[in-house]
Amino acid sequence: MLTERIQKAKNEYVNNKPSISYERARIWTESYKRTEGQTEIIRRAQAFKDVCRELVVTIFPGELIVGASGEFRKCGILTPEFSWTWVDREMDNFSSRVQDPYEMTDEQRAFVRANIFPYWKGKSLEEAYLAQIPPAIAKVAVDTGIIDIDSKWRQSVGEITPDYQDVLFKKGWQGIIDTCKEKMAKISLAAPDGLKKYDFYRSIILCGEGMIILAGRYREKALAMVEEEKDPVRKDELLKIADILSRIPAQPPVTFQEALQMIWFYQLGGILMENPLSLNPGRFDQYMYPYYKYDIEHKLHDEDGILELIECYWLKLSEWVWTISANTADFFAGYNQFQNLTVGGTDRNGKDATNELSYLCLKATGEVKTHQPGLSVRIGHDSPHKFVEAVMELVAQGTGFPAIHSDKTGYQMLKNMGYETEDARDWNNCGCVVPHFRKTFEWTSTVNVNFSGAFEYATNGGKSRITGEQMGLPIHTDRKFASYEEVEQAFMEQFDNLISISVTGAILAQKLQKVLIPRPFFSAVSESCLEKGMDLVDGGAKYTIGPVLTGIGLAESANSLAAVKKLVFDDKVCTMDELLDAMDKNWEGYDELRKLAQDAPKYGNDDDYVDDIARRIGNHYYEEAHKYTDIYGKTFTTAFMGISNFIPTGRVIGATACGRKATEPISEGVSPVAGTDTSTPLAAMKSVAKMNQDIHSGGTLLNMRLSHDLVSTPRGRNNLASMIQSFFDMGAFHIQFNTLSSKTLLDAQAHPENYRDLLVRVAGYSTQFVHLSKTLQDSIIRRTVHDEY
Amino acid sequence: MMNTKGKILQLQHYSVNDGDGIRTIVFFAGCPLRCRWCSNPEGWEARDRILYIASRCIGCGRCTSVCPRQVGCDLNAPGEREKCVDCGACVKACLEHARKHSVTEWTVQQVLDWLEKELIFFRESGGGVTYSGGECTQQPEFLHELARAVYDLGLNQAMETCGYFPLEKLQPTLDLMDLLFMDIKHMDRAKHRQFTGVDNDLILHNIAALGKQNKNIVVRIPTIMGVNGDEENIRNTARFVREHLPEPKLELLPYHSYGADKYTQLGLSYDEQAFRRPTDEELARLRAIVTEEGVEAVSYR
Repeated sequence: MLTERIQKAKNEYVNNKPSISYERARIWTESYKRTEGQTEIIRRAQAFKDVCRELVVTIFPGELIVGASGEFRKCGILTPEFSWTWVDREMDNFSSRVQDPYEMTDEQRAFVRANIFPYWKGKSLEEAYLAQIPPAIAKVAVDTGIIDIDSKWRQSVGEITPDYQDVLFKKGWQGIIDTCKEKMAKISLAAPDGLKKYDFYRSIILCGEGMIILAGRYREKALAMVEEEKDPVRKDELLKIADILSRIPAQPPVTFQEALQMIWFYQLGGILMENPLSLNPGRFDQYMYPYYKYDIEHKLHDEDGILELIECYWLKLSEWVWTISANTADFFAGYNQFQNLTVGGTDRNGKDATNELSYLCLKATGEVKTHQPGLSVRIGHDSPHKFVEAVMELVAQGTGFPAIHSDKTGYQMLKNMGYETEDARDWNNCGCVVPHFRKTFEWTSTVNVNFSGAFEYATNGGKSRITGEQMGLPIHTDRKFASYEEVEQAFMEQFDNLISISVTGAILAQKLQKVLIPRPFFSAVSESCLEKGMDLVDGGAKYTIGPVLTGIGLAESANSLAAVKKLVFDDKVCTMDELLDAMDKNWEGYDELRKLAQDAPKYGNDDDYVDDIARRIGNHYYEEAHKYTDIYGKTFTTAFMGISNFIPTGRVIGATACGRKATEPISEGVSPVAGTDTSTPLAAMKSVAKMNQDIHSGGTLLNMRLSHDLVSTPRGRNNLASMIQSFFDMGAFHIQFNTLSSKTLLDAQAHPENYRDLLVRVAGYSTQFVHLSKTLQDSIIRRTVHDEY
Repeated sequence: MMNTKGKILQLQHYSVNDGDGIRTIVFFAGCPLRCRWCSNPEGWEARDRILYIASRCIGCGRCTSVCPRQVGCDLNAPGEREKCVDCGACVKACLEHARKHSVTEWTVQQVLDWLEKELIFFRESGGGVTYSGGECTQQPEFLHELARAVYDLGLNQAMETCGYFPLEKLQPTLDLMDLLFMDIKHMDRAKHRQFTGVDNDLILHNIAALGKQNKNIVVRIPTIMGVNGDEENIRNTARFVREHLPEPKLELLPYHSYGADKYTQLGLSYDEQAFRRPTDEELARLRAIVTEEGVEAVSYR
């Protein structure tokens, strides 16, 4: 049962459209005008401190955890130093755009056009990127849907799991400042990197001072509100908030509420600094557990009290909005900030560490139904059965949460990337399905690679079937193939070319981010950065891991190659020319051939005919990506994630041999193409598990729809748990379910007003169904519902 | 032995309601009973028939063009099915999946090959294989060879049977089973004959005899209002079960009309109005009677 406080906040959360606040951008810009000539790291830190000093402080009704990124409760901010031209182009349509609309007034628009954007002309990351990217690369890699890197040059990288337990909770911001001062005193300024280190520590001190100032202002605000407040209960709450803010975040926390306020302030600081995606709370049930125990032992809170605080935090994580372009919103739909929070799993010794907080987190998500945090669980054979049951019960609620991960495969993925054993056991999730660790600097979702592009170019002389433009290599321009092997070979060559372009685009983004966006605020909670005096972007972290490429359309590509093999070379029901002509004509006049193509083997049915092709593509992808190193000398890493990228990537691909028509969605992660895994969920799992998932250390994703009937009884849920354990035994990493009936979803489409809090699984995350575009809603409805017969 | 052949309607993977855990159900063709409500009429005979799914048919005529007897698209139109020799040429030709074989022939080895794909799920969930039909005991040699091979794999085995079989002949096969689902469709002999075409003497005798052997048995009643869903019949069945089984267990399976389409596909008529699914309240009341009689009302839902 939700408390009245949470119910009220939830109502506001589901009913209000997010609004854009330009306050952060205004203060940032003014600060930048004052710091010209300083190093970039100092300028960013100083601007941050100025924001902390000037940004409006607001405590919303009933809040126990305070701190907001702007004047609105649901608020998106602008970060023009990353990019602003798209905002200028798109903001007139912010409130009317299909995916992730924002409110913005004419006055606001006029203000930013007059006072903010002019300063940034020619200075933003986006402009630098577009100025430097070679035209041949840009042709394939800028806003094309073939290669997409836009979240890495229009936005902050994000993708951080702060190290709370070893740094922030131990030292507090004052402790971090003190450490930096000690370190600064020992620097030899005459050394080649002396001045750089000096600025590094100075910038962290500025960040810490900013945080302490901001907390002080919130404290004053709370005290001022006490004066006005008539309700004695609320008065006490505000006094308590003020009391907590007299120590937090400067000092280490003692109680649960202090620790929670501390991590929210850190989250808020990160938002104001970079407007990031994937700033992950990480293993919340582990690092918060001592504070939970403190509160329970000292009778400060009972379980219900802790639960309410957790729900306050869940709302905080959901209320701020990642401000992104329409293009990015297509790839990351649903106001999603990708703040992943992981519960369950083993401790550093390998012993299961599920605890009371693990259960409370599941309960909070089930009750408050916010789309954030992205709740992930780690499941292994040592997980308590009660915990597995609690996870299945949440699955049965149909919210799409939690993302269920194999403890072992996550560990294995980190080991494969070279992590120390104990650190590998301590993994958390980043973003949607990336196995991650808190002492890491990694671009976990760098490039979206459209595999179906490789198929299109292989079968069309390197040209786009939609625009006719030369996008791939000019090979097989006569479109003649003597054998199936030649077709697959051509696919691999076009594929390699796409990887090469992806890497080029990623390296350019890395080079620019390194210079333009040093990250003192995030380096501050890295022991290793503090020790070395080196920013994350300079390789200061304990682990610097190579960028992750995300493959989209694995299943679609395998299906298309299998259809070519089956129709043209094995069954010989048509010639290659006929099949190519059918694709050129979007199957017009080829109804019969299209039927045969649709009947060709499809990935997701445990059929080696096509699964072997998928596995070859997956293995090749891994080998090819690992041939490249980034600016840190680290090899590129592969993943099959989801996000909502299977829609925009499909929009730019003509008809494909599997029977798909032009512009239809392709496939996400390692999932089958929606609606083609018609056998059983077991067969789908078996196909998916064939993909050697552990080598794709950037994460793999499978979404499945299950009929709600299958999980409506304890027995059904236990059978589902067995299925999942079997799936993980086969080496798989992740699975997530939608258990809503198509009827419910269709009704929600027709009557969104009745379903404002209906959460669904998109791909790698859950979000409100009503916040998705019609196309995306349709494709979720189309996912095969696995039912018993 | 692995080459012993059987007639199968289908293998249904990922079944969770006919025994423990995750299971594959092997539906055998052929049945000695003719239950009027039967949901698998294609399983009455062990011979292949062509099913016609009218809703998928687009009338393209591909089937007629390959048919040796020039049967029209609508296989169930008057006079057409009489011409059909069930050769299956049309099934291959149809692009709309509007024609289907009702029965296919499998060797034991072929069934095992398919089961092998599911092994990991059986083992993790404690599941296995359930033999059903039609009526699995109608093909005793094939059933035995298959059950022997599955037994050797160490999998859980269950049988779902109408109970109308010669016990002595089936005894070695029954000994391989972990669980028997046995139907009592009616306690009244005349009504049993009226609704299923056979007396219930043999069925009741077999249940009682297997009860004496301490076999793990769940008696099932396909519960249909207007046939056997009256309180008296349920009570009588429960009493029989209590009397003859050491651990008396009954499962009431509410009737469903999902089979109606199959009658249409075979060109048969089906009187849907004659049977009614019990309401949730009626079912709860009937389950209470079962419990009152000292019998465990089990459910594999």
